[in-house]
Amino acid sequence: MDNRNLFAGIDVGSMTTKCVIIDSENILASTVIYTDAEPKKAGVAILDSVLGMIGANREDISYAVGTGYGRISLDFFDHTATEITCHATGVRHINPGVEGIIDIGGQDSKAIKLKPDGTIMDFILNDRCAAGTGRFLEVMARTLRLNIEEFSALYEKSINPCPVNSTCIVFAESEVISLVAQGNTKTDIAAGLHQSIARRVGNMAKRLGIAQNTAFVGGVSKNAGMRKALEDYLGIVFVSLSVDPQITGALGAAVMARGRYDKQRQ
Amino acid sequence: MDALLKLDTHLENRHAQLKALKDHGRKIIGFTAGGYFPEELALACDAEAICFIEAGNNTALMNAGGYTCRWFDPFWRSQIAYLTSGKDPYYNIADLIVVPVTDNHVRNFSNVLGYFTPEKESFVFGVPHVKDKIALDYYLKGITRLRNRLEEFTGKEITDARLKQSIDLCNRERELFRQISLLRKSGEYFIQGRDFIKLNHGSYLADKEFMIDILEMYLREIKETACHPKGGPSLLLTGSTLAHGDSKVMDIIEECGGNTVVEEFAECIRPYHETVDTEGNLMKNLAESYFMKRVCPGWFRPGTERLNLLIKLAKEYNVDGLIWYQLMFRESYKVESFFFPQMLKKEAGIPMFVVESEYDAMEAGPMRTRIETFIETIKR
Repeated sequence: MDNRNLFAGIDVGSMTTKCVIIDSENILASTVIYTDAEPKKAGVAILDSVLGMIGANREDISYAVGTGYGRISLDFFDHTATEITCHATGVRHINPGVEGIIDIGGQDSKAIKLKPDGTIMDFILNDRCAAGTGRFLEVMARTLRLNIEEFSALYEKSINPCPVNSTCIVFAESEVISLVAQGNTKTDIAAGLHQSIARRVGNMAKRLGIAQNTAFVGGVSKNAGMRKALEDYLGIVFVSLSVDPQITGALGAAVMARGRYDKQRQ
Repeated sequence: MDALLKLDTHLENRHAQLKALKDHGRKIIGFTAGGYFPEELALACDAEAICFIEAGNNTALMNAGGYTCRWFDPFWRSQIAYLTSGKDPYYNIADLIVVPVTDNHVRNFSNVLGYFTPEKESFVFGVPHVKDKIALDYYLKGITRLRNRLEEFTGKEITDARLKQSIDLCNRERELFRQISLLRKSGEYFIQGRDFIKLNHGSYLADKEFMIDILEMYLREIKETACHPKGGPSLLLTGSTLAHGDSKVMDIIEECGGNTVVEEFAECIRPYHETVDTEGNLMKNLAESYFMKRVCPGWFRPGTERLNLLIKLAKEYNVDGLIWYQLMFRESYKVESFFFPQMLKKEAGIPMFVVESEYDAMEAGPMRTRIETFIETIKR
């Protein structure tokens, strides 16, 4: 029996693994799971899980592209690409008018400027530490004894955010404890932390000259407080995407898989 | 390449060779990286000169924590770690350690050298940060004091004849490096970036005459080998320091399909563009070449000379991009890395990309993503 001519994109990130399956026209299925420090296991599990959602199996995959830090752990990819290229491909597939991308993931943050043809003009990744990442937000929320949703919701409730100066995750944790001891509310501290990350990531976007027509992607983009804090800092409104912004890297990988397959067949 | 294999074998045996020479009364002069120690002075008093260029090992780096704070350049913290470990073969074998102090990181090393290892004989002299007559005189006085110390230390007078002979030897080495590099510029020969670096690093430890033989042999081999240039983007690699043992960035560049065709580093890569004049006052000629003619490192004021050189090299070697290899806490380079991309884009029309390192194993993944994406964006 002929296979179903499907294309898979798998983004094996430091915190979560994302998978998208497409055919010649549409997105058929996607999901997100925790990587749990086992990138290989996560990559295999998510592919089988997503294939199961549409009643397909591995033989139905004509071409698979891997991306993310864990891409080198898996041996079934036909091709691998960096997550920067994949996010650019995925976002432009959804919205061809996008000129800039801000991606905040579990381990890093990036600003990407695109050329009119959708290829990368320039990009910046955060420095070699956890500041400005999903990990930073998680640790800060935990320090305030909040879950990430509660923490995120506090940004817009504060009328007097506490300035948080430390950008190092370890020093910032100490600073938060000091702010609590000084009697500041969790609301104002949480808002200050959101502003601190918005400044740090927003400055990368400013250095690239990213402004209008910018998409915010990655796991942290689902954090409404962080999204608003970045919009406030940059003075823009992010373009809306019709897919889960956490899967744009995997989607880009799937689109790339389809493109490479078609090219091979020509 | 047989030349590279021969160099490997020589370096494997070099420490034992130095020990044998030392046992027969030859003095071993160790000097810190930076290119401001005229090796000719050591050779002219029949001593062996070796440069401390090893770094890149994070565990060794951590051991420096007992002697200095963390917020210093990892290369110089590595030197502190090797110096104080008592286990580094080259620091151990050196009879005299010469430290031309070029910036605060090197000064930190010289302080540790004097305070924590007073049993080590050392000679420290300053290198100014501007190029003018007063600074040149200051540097000349520094190397003149060094000459006197070397004569006293080795018991050998540095005559003009001996000094000229040493300058000729070192000029030959510089000229061979220049010729090899120019082959890369022509684009007709393929010389892997890592091979050129290997030769350069080797020259800091090898016997000088042996090294010249190796370079001549390498040059012959390259010319005789019919080899088409490798595809993939050509890169200019620059930064403050590219140590022996710090191959991460070079490895990633090559694994991602890039090829380094020219390098510019202040430390651990030998300046080879200028030779030393052998007519007239030889000490003045050394100062002129080592201080005035040599393109200055990033901490000089103004820094435009080096930045202009980078633009010139980018054009002459027809590179597709520049990778700026930034060691953490080397602030003079960090400052330039913020505004130089615009200059480079405007003057040479090519992009620049900054990668940072603290010799940390965990940085390899993110570094690969960055370099891979940069190379993807500049593919012709």
